[in-house]
Amino acid sequence: MSNFEIVIGLEVHTQLKTKSKIFCSCSTEFKSPPNTNICPVCCGYPGVLPVFNKKVLELAVRVSLALKCETNKSIYFERKNYFYPDLPKDYQISQYKMPLGERGILELPSGKKVNINRVHMEEDAGKLIHKEDCSLVDFNRTGTPLLEIVSEPDIRSPQEAYDYLTYLKLVIQYIGSSDCDMEKGSLRCDANISLRRHGDTKLGTRVELKNMNSFRGVRAALEFEAKRQAKAIESGEKIIQETRLWDVDNLKTVVMRTKEQAHDYRYFPEPDLLDFSVSNELIEGEKALVGELPIERKERFLKEYKINQKEVDIILASPWLANFFEEANKAYPKSQELSNWLLGPFLEQVNALEKGFDSVKISTQKFAQIVRYFSEKKLNNLAAKKVLSLSIATDQDIDGIIEGEGLTQVSGEDQLSLFIEEAIKDNPKPVKEYLEGKEQAIMFLVGQVMKKSRGNANPQVAKDMLKRRIEE
Amino acid sequence: MIDKKDVKYVANLAKIKIASGQEAFLEEQFSKIIGYIDKLKELNVEGVEPSRGAHITRDVFREDKVVPSDCREEILKNSPSREGDYFKIPKVVE
Amino acid sequence: MKDLINTNASQLAEEIRTNKIKKEEVFSFFKSRIKKFDPVLKSFVESYDQPVKGEGESSLSGLPIAIKDNICIKEKKVTCSSKILVNHIAVYNAEVIKRLKNAGLNIIGTTNMDEFAFGSSTENSCYGPTKNPWDITRVVGGSSGGSAAAVAARLVPFALGSDTGGSIRQPACLCGVVGFKPTYGRVSRFGLVAFGSSLDQIGPITTDFVDCANLLNIICGHDDKDSTSAFIDVPDFTKALNGNVKGLRIGIPKEYFSQGLNQEVKNAVEEAKKIFEEKGAEIIEISLPHTEYAVATYYIIASSEASSNLQRFDGVRYGVRAKGESLEDLYTNSRGQGFGDEAKRRIFLGTYSLSSGYYDAYYLKALKARTLIRKDFDQAFKKVDVILTPTSPTTAFKIGEKASDPLSMYLSDIYTISTNLAGLPAVSFPCGFSSEKLPIGVQLIGKEFDEFTLVKLGSAFQSCTDFHKEIPKINYE
Repeated sequence: MSNFEIVIGLEVHTQLKTKSKIFCSCSTEFKSPPNTNICPVCCGYPGVLPVFNKKVLELAVRVSLALKCETNKSIYFERKNYFYPDLPKDYQISQYKMPLGERGILELPSGKKVNINRVHMEEDAGKLIHKEDCSLVDFNRTGTPLLEIVSEPDIRSPQEAYDYLTYLKLVIQYIGSSDCDMEKGSLRCDANISLRRHGDTKLGTRVELKNMNSFRGVRAALEFEAKRQAKAIESGEKIIQETRLWDVDNLKTVVMRTKEQAHDYRYFPEPDLLDFSVSNELIEGEKALVGELPIERKERFLKEYKINQKEVDIILASPWLANFFEEANKAYPKSQELSNWLLGPFLEQVNALEKGFDSVKISTQKFAQIVRYFSEKKLNNLAAKKVLSLSIATDQDIDGIIEGEGLTQVSGEDQLSLFIEEAIKDNPKPVKEYLEGKEQAIMFLVGQVMKKSRGNANPQVAKDMLKRRIEE
Repeated sequence: MIDKKDVKYVANLAKIKIASGQEAFLEEQFSKIIGYIDKLKELNVEGVEPSRGAHITRDVFREDKVVPSDCREEILKNSPSREGDYFKIPKVVE
Repeated sequence: MKDLINTNASQLAEEIRTNKIKKEEVFSFFKSRIKKFDPVLKSFVESYDQPVKGEGESSLSGLPIAIKDNICIKEKKVTCSSKILVNHIAVYNAEVIKRLKNAGLNIIGTTNMDEFAFGSSTENSCYGPTKNPWDITRVVGGSSGGSAAAVAARLVPFALGSDTGGSIRQPACLCGVVGFKPTYGRVSRFGLVAFGSSLDQIGPITTDFVDCANLLNIICGHDDKDSTSAFIDVPDFTKALNGNVKGLRIGIPKEYFSQGLNQEVKNAVEEAKKIFEEKGAEIIEISLPHTEYAVATYYIIASSEASSNLQRFDGVRYGVRAKGESLEDLYTNSRGQGFGDEAKRRIFLGTYSLSSGYYDAYYLKALKARTLIRKDFDQAFKKVDVILTPTSPTTAFKIGEKASDPLSMYLSDIYTISTNLAGLPAVSFPCGFSSEKLPIGVQLIGKEFDEFTLVKLGSAFQSCTDFHKEIPKINYE
């Protein structure tokens, strides 16, 4: 293995986040019953014509800009001709000679730079369901807008491929162009891999890998294929240019088709859709929406919020969380306290919610308010968590909850002293133990005070008072 | 010139089965037509831009709005073979 | 009853409006003519017992109209005269159908054509050839032959056809009626089963220019569903009727009058030229130097687009599915059995032109040749307002005469093809008869989106000639 350098290029298809399909007004809803989001246009009926969804261009331009591609100012579509039952017109409207963006670059968090060959828009195909004796076709997905992102063969290991995909996904999610959900099929990846001896400048014969269903699958398939090719070359075999499928059950790649069987797609300009301008206005508008990339945002978070790298990584792993954090900071600029609450009780409670972040209703102001009340000792830890749990999915008024639930923290010594006296009187044994030097015994007494105050006492204040009173 | 191999290649791409006995006939006619259009070879087109259409309309977009179709059932009804709400075809082997 | 066959559609509509005749009477009059003559002519694929009724009002409301069998009418068969679609029911209305209905027209049926509009004789139809009402042993031209024959025989007041390389004008010429191909982008193609997407255009076939102008008013205009539809205002074409043609410059391209042009046709066209001259138009000789490459250019582009457009007829979602154990068999059998010979030839030619290794030599080269042909017209229109040519090199030929020689058939479109490549408007109208009493047509080609001038000249011609008023006596065998 170490005799060879691995050369990998990746081809990613990501579904652009639109309400309607790329060339007709059918819904792109993922979960609909079979063949419900269909019309004469996406079913390739005789006489129909495509009309281009403007949102597709906007979202695609955003990705092109985020990947720092040279975005072409005038583009057109072409037809890619091949017969397949999930492709109603038996051609796919795609881009060939004049893609949306070319010559881009993606810098990974590791500092590795991967060049982007091109990004282009195209329509998705439908779905086949294979049964014992027949196959069934569902055209719901047909015509869903896709963006194909083709990297240069700059990736040098299966792990690097994994890192590229992870970061690419983060970037695209970040700018809001796609959900990048592999389970929903809104992100798919094919890979090219070849080997060459270290120092060689010529590329080896490449093999195309398909059918990987996760980033881990991509990595595993590439690892398998690298080993297979190395073994083959070392035993004097020639690598054949072919397409291989990842067999996830048996963890190996198998031949799908060789180059001789390769398609002749007969690309030609789509005569039904002529030219589209990518105007400066559109580019400027999208540029504003691209904003900063995750890697740039990370640097800013570290500098601006002064929280540690681990915390930043967790917050930035979700654009939702990152935005929430930034907004909360505007309302209450104590970043460390916010981060503690966000990554602690908040995430814990979000995970318990049915739809995760989608179920969260609480405003950033109200969230900040809870953290502030805790900091100001208006709420103790338990009470603050309770307030959060009551407001997280409802966005109820915080003061209203506190009042309604009677959660105001009792920290005035006058109010507490009664509970302190009672606790000492009722529990002579722990008092004695404490006096004998058993530090934990004080905690039992604090618990008694908390109980008597129905949880509203400030435990720290109670502890201090108990100590003072016993030691008197 | 066009030979049997070309005809076979094209027929395969176009997914058209040529009835037995028709090969020679098709090959001959196809050859004649290609022979005629080869006339274009004498034309000098150096520096000429290709015309992709008769006149080029620009920037014809639609808004991203969902309008459900009212003919889903008719579309399914037109299917030569149907199973439930699916189009049925012979088993596809990848 | 009134003499309905010698009354043009616009006049008939006027009589319906003024209650001189009921629209139901008009419908049953034409329906009875179809019953009587169409068993011989075979111009209709289907004629409805009850018309598809329109709702709105226009200068033509209440009249029946026939539609070429490649334009979608909701809940009716649209078969393109192909075996592969004989069972296919349209699930939506073409934009032109919507417009006709909104103008109060009633659709009487669909007309025969060459399969998928591939042809110039209407012999390539799975329903058999339509016969020429002037001589039933002869072809009607094509591919909109059914529409032209039905109008010529007055089985319907007017009809719609489609024109990719002459498919409206050439049959109109061979049948002695007016066939108009508007500028590319003038009429929505939504709902027209595509043949050559960058060339196709729907247009009217009528007995005269008055009807032509009225029908153009209804079908022209922008449509959001067709991305190639032009954003250009449509004038009222009836304002062009009986206009003054004095001073208009008419170009005569010398390349259109050379070899292969039948002498009688040539003479009739020369006569037409003289009539325009007498009316004050100026005749200027011009040159369209790349004309000799038009047929080859056209067949590559049209067939390439067609090969792709026709891939969808695969037996999976609609149409006729042939038996096949495997998917591959299903495809190759459905298409092998469903397409006729001419369709196969065009698909082969188009597939070949686009295939790897031949794309540059054929398809790309043709796109460049198309640029040269367009430029020829640009140059010519600097000097002239319209161009006058013959529509077809010959009058109607015998059924079967060219069936075994596809190439000679292709060459019968030699005068009409260039205008589709350039996207220009053009019209054919009758200008005489041969010694065998077969109609001869002349073609006028206009500037982009200048249909108006064509209507003006055509109606001026018809105001002082009677060729368009002659009606064939259909002889029974």
